[in-house]
Amino acid sequence: MICLSKNEQGAELLAGYLSRTLDAPRMAELGRHIQECADCRGLASVWERLDEFAVPEVSPGFDARLYARIASEDARVSWLSWRRWLWRPIAPLAAAAAVVALVLGFLHVPGTPHSAKQASKVEIEQVAQAVDDLDLLTPIDR
Amino acid sequence: MSKPTQPSPETRVNENMEAIVALERDAQLMLNVREGDDTSFGFLLERHRGPVVHFLYRMVQNQAVSEELAQEVFLRVYRSRETYEPTAKFTTWLFRIATHVALNSIRDRKKEKGHESLDESSDEMLGGLERQVADRQLTIEQEMVRDVKLREVRQAIEALPAKQRAAVLMHKYEGLDYAQIAKVLSCSESAIKSLLFRAYETLRDRLAHMA
Ligand SMILES: [Zn+2]
Repeated sequence: MICLSKNEQGAELLAGYLSRTLDAPRMAELGRHIQECADCRGLASVWERLDEFAVPEVSPGFDARLYARIASEDARVSWLSWRRWLWRPIAPLAAAAAVVALVLGFLHVPGTPHSAKQASKVEIEQVAQAVDDLDLLTPIDR
Repeated sequence: MSKPTQPSPETRVNENMEAIVALERDAQLMLNVREGDDTSFGFLLERHRGPVVHFLYRMVQNQAVSEELAQEVFLRVYRSRETYEPTAKFTTWLFRIATHVALNSIRDRKKEKGHESLDESSDEMLGGLERQVADRQLTIEQEMVRDVKLREVRQAIEALPAKQRAAVLMHKYEGLDYAQIAKVLSCSESAIKSLLFRAYETLRDRLAHMA
């Protein structure tokens, strides 16, 4: 007997049957069993029921919207690289000024542990998001 | 509705060959995009726009949201062009992005608006979709039966846990195999097999009274 619900390989058999990738004798055996077993018939008929889930056509403006977003992003990226280029000669000075400001801030303002904690939480979330994106965009090994 | 028939070995070989050719074509197109060829991005969009939007539509069951998410998917593909390496099937990688975007959206919507508003908007949407796909030859009674059955299937799928839902949609409608789905969801193949089996069992039980 090849009942799906009583078989350790049930998942594999069902999916193999549903996607029609089982060998011919097994397809035939399972086909016969399905005629007799209501449980298995139910599983197999799910496949056909799912065919009823129709989808709407993609909106005609989809590509135009996407290309507009890409164009605006490209424009932003090129503006950012320009800004980076302009910024480069004064970057060390600005970094030094930021360090000085930070040190002065620590010397003169009493500690604010709450806001510091909040800032570090935001930072952690940002890093997590970036890592997440990075993982997504890394092609997976075959 | 016709019963599925088993393809001949020749058909399967041809299908496999077509799949290999398609794999190479997609990867090559993406490499062209990396080299600055925007036309190739257009070809990729043309080939995968439908599957991605439809997958997302069945995930979130709202046309406006699904198209917005699909835009995000293709934008991410475009953004990653300079670092792209064809180490995986392009489709696997694409659906990994699509699934990630969909799961994030489902999570955020649950958090922000609660479940009800999503149901409302999908019901609103259903009216438009039903009209759009309606076969004008059907009688009103046949249309009503079809609409009820469609609603049942939609609700049964929507009630699945999001990961199971994604696996079923990729398996049933998008033709991804276990290995691909496993990579998309970062699971082992055996985990995907049992996850799919559980999902189909749940669907059977929910749809049983309509069989
Ligand atoms: Zn059985």
